[in-house]
Amino acid sequence: MTRDGALALGEAVGERLERRALAVLGVATALVLAVLFYYPVLTVFADALRTGGEWTLGVVRAVFTDPFYFGVLAPLFEGDLAGVGEVAESTPLGLFGFTAYQAALSTVASVLLGLPGAYVLSRYEFPGRRTIRSLTIVPFVLPSIMVAIGFYAFFGTNGLFNDLLAVLGIGRVTVLGTLEAIVVAHAFYNAPLVARVTTAAWESVDARTVETARSLGANPYRAFVDVLAPQLLPAVLTGALLTFVFTFMSFPIVLALGGFELATVEVWIYALVQQLDYAEAATLAVVETAISLGLTYAYLRYEARQAGGRAANPPARKRLLPDDFSPFAALERAGVVAYALVVAVVFLGPLLSMVTESLTGPQGFTLRYYEFLVERQATGADFQTKPGVAVRNSLLFGAATLLVALPMGVTISVLTTRGRRGSKLADAAAMAPLAVSGVVVGLGMLRGLVFGVELWGHRIQVAGTSAIVAAHAVAAYPFVVRNVSPLLASVDRSMVESARALGATRVRALLDVELPLVASGVAAGAAFAFAISIGEFDSTVILATGSSSYTMPVAVERYIGNRTLGPATAMGTVLLAVTSLSFVVIDRLGGRWEA
Amino acid sequence: MDRRTFLKSGAAGGLLGLAGCLGSDDAGQQDTTEETAETATTEETTTEGTETTAEETDEETTEADEGLSGTLTVATYGSFVDAPSSAPGPWLKETFEERHPDVTVEWATPDNEMNYYIQRAQQGVDIDADLYVGINVDHLIRIDEQLGDGGLFASSVDALEHYDHVEDDLKFDPQQRAVPYDTGYISLVYDGTEVEDPETFDALTTDEYAGDLIVQNAQSAATGRAFLLWTIHNRGEENYLDYWEQLVDNDVRILGSWDDAYTAWDEGEAPMVVSYSTDQVYANREGADLDEHQVSFLDGQGYANPEGMARFADAPNPELAEAFMDFVLSAEAQGEIAMRNVQFPATDWAELSEEFEEYAKVPDDPVTFTYEELQGNVDEWVDTWARQIAGK
Repeated sequence: MTRDGALALGEAVGERLERRALAVLGVATALVLAVLFYYPVLTVFADALRTGGEWTLGVVRAVFTDPFYFGVLAPLFEGDLAGVGEVAESTPLGLFGFTAYQAALSTVASVLLGLPGAYVLSRYEFPGRRTIRSLTIVPFVLPSIMVAIGFYAFFGTNGLFNDLLAVLGIGRVTVLGTLEAIVVAHAFYNAPLVARVTTAAWESVDARTVETARSLGANPYRAFVDVLAPQLLPAVLTGALLTFVFTFMSFPIVLALGGFELATVEVWIYALVQQLDYAEAATLAVVETAISLGLTYAYLRYEARQAGGRAANPPARKRLLPDDFSPFAALERAGVVAYALVVAVVFLGPLLSMVTESLTGPQGFTLRYYEFLVERQATGADFQTKPGVAVRNSLLFGAATLLVALPMGVTISVLTTRGRRGSKLADAAAMAPLAVSGVVVGLGMLRGLVFGVELWGHRIQVAGTSAIVAAHAVAAYPFVVRNVSPLLASVDRSMVESARALGATRVRALLDVELPLVASGVAAGAAFAFAISIGEFDSTVILATGSSSYTMPVAVERYIGNRTLGPATAMGTVLLAVTSLSFVVIDRLGGRWEA
Repeated sequence: MDRRTFLKSGAAGGLLGLAGCLGSDDAGQQDTTEETAETATTEETTTEGTETTAEETDEETTEADEGLSGTLTVATYGSFVDAPSSAPGPWLKETFEERHPDVTVEWATPDNEMNYYIQRAQQGVDIDADLYVGINVDHLIRIDEQLGDGGLFASSVDALEHYDHVEDDLKFDPQQRAVPYDTGYISLVYDGTEVEDPETFDALTTDEYAGDLIVQNAQSAATGRAFLLWTIHNRGEENYLDYWEQLVDNDVRILGSWDDAYTAWDEGEAPMVVSYSTDQVYANREGADLDEHQVSFLDGQGYANPEGMARFADAPNPELAEAFMDFVLSAEAQGEIAMRNVQFPATDWAELSEEFEEYAKVPDDPVTFTYEELQGNVDEWVDTWARQIAGK
């Protein structure tokens, strides 16, 4: 074969591969999901309907008609209208009602706290803006025990916050055991998420639409409400949806900061799993998942209706010090300063308190917890957890997760945004990893993959590094999808069609036309994917059993000692430092691609 | 240097050298290992024998071990091997391997702890471990419920030389599978600079102690469960829910785990927390103010929570497992475990430090429920309690 012939053949093969690439990626994604998500989770869910080797609806019926779980709905499910009054007096909400209630409060708090952040980050130019934007994701990766320590140390009875209130003459507040504590802690985790998703959308709005509205005589307020807000709403709702789903499934924060009186459904599922009571746990998990998925589906239908053709063309950012001092501009800056103060209290307070804890022993300042980390790294035995290994693993898994989750997420976005009837259902199914709790996924993985599956007399086991990365990718790609899909849906279709008409393959059109337009979403998704991998705990700890593939959060948990959290907080500070640095790097790299 | 130390270090040094050469051995070189093991036997017998005499246990110096070799897999909970500064695991591994140079101890610390092995057994997967360290009576009840009577573990007591030293009232397994190796007394720990010793269960429901107590969730925390059982023991099965209603009315805080609760207490969220009566041992070691670490035995009681170890029924190396269990019951190991795990020994001959003797407090009236009393009851007690607390 001549050189030219070989080249031509290569090109032909390349073209065919490219043409098939989307399909191949789609199938690969579906396979990974089936093996690492659907199979394990369905094994657990099957327990809801199977007791003692028989299929039965008994447990399901018992759960639905139990006022403890469903409050006033329980007698209704049973068709017993007379029972409603009695239940309304004792347990009106039930566990599900209360869980939804606290999740709704947490969502409102997160959105209220997150939106001004998105506004400041996307509309103002100031030194360190990009760094702060990168760091918005950091709270997301902190283990709950660290957040609890930070909260007690800062907001607690003897904490700095209360000292400040006392100095101001406002009086002290009780944090422990209150719904407020849970809501604020949830906002600590999720407001940055809302801010980040919304910032990504704000940075890709079409400013010309606002200019047009203004030139047609709309005042800035009207232009915002009628033109800009509809462009931002899908992103805000994405943030709200994710927050609701997360806080609906919350349990470590509830138990550490609120107390058992405020137990959620997930607290109950966890306890039932501990008691190996799978049937009831699985039933609760199915209901919990159905609610989350139902919400996701409703949101996806809404999102699909929002899609309209526009191109990213963000407005210029304002300077923090205005060029001319109008009363409105001054008021706005005062608002920004007030918001910065709130951020300092809610986010910096607990984080700095956590770091302070790592430097304080019973007799004041100490470096011995860090000395412990160094010593453990230098002389620790094989079966002990070494901080250096944890850092290395976290970064490696994070990077590998990015490589797997980004293509998976973009593929699903492309396949579902341009889909036909039923694509919203498929989209919801692809979003399922978000809606299933860590306890259930962890249990399913244990029973399905770690113990192995008997196939033709051989036990097939999946565990180890690649399984961890795959599990992280499964947990992470929905974030890529949710960050990319809304932007992708709003890309002007005619641009893609023109490219295709000019001979570009589907993949070419995606790479050259669509992706650059949704780059801010892809970058936001990438940061989330990395964050999910760094922060993931349940499946990592199960898949890492008996190996050296533990990560930073796992190390934090393992360093919690008998009566001492010193080494754990030191490791938590390392986690904080490493992840902060990584997010700045990721965002800078992502930013280069964006520009 | 006395004879015992000399012999021990000399022999151990020589044997460690050998073990070092064999460190990378795998299955393919099994024969060499066994040969070496035989050569080592004589020396080792002397070491073991001398040790036994020195510890004045019995005069049976002739009973040599059969040159144990192989890999022993010990399953346990994570903080037993990996908790900073307080884990007894590393010492146990090192010392046992010194005494049995051809043995390698490997730890298995699955995140789901005992549940991991129950689930494995349910799924028909091999257990892959020889013994479990860290069993309590709840585990046994769960195992027997889930896997049928006598499942998962087998009794080893006949093979244990030191079993006679285990305190009788700590033996919590009627089938003698689990052998106690340490115990804790659940009590209150309070900050003496903030509150007075409440002294009684009744006092906890008075205005004086409103909002002052942090306890743990009985569903998920061992200490929380022990405290709940203690209230049932104290108030009776009929009255404990009423008592808890009074506690909740008096603003008791129920947090998720012992760590959550102890952290909150340490941060001054409330002056009293449910914890262990050995609290001062650790506090003293850390140089904390002991006035802030006072122990209260309500009604003179403390709820005993012994921890045990047991050999898996189909352990790959039953003899090794039993040798290890005997070692854990030895006077020296008993003292080390007690001090490192900050718990009381389960035997009558532990070598304890003065510090431990001084700061570890024992209740006048240790109480606990037996296996028989708990079986068939404990799930319902905990479940009813949990529903009362969490009902909305």
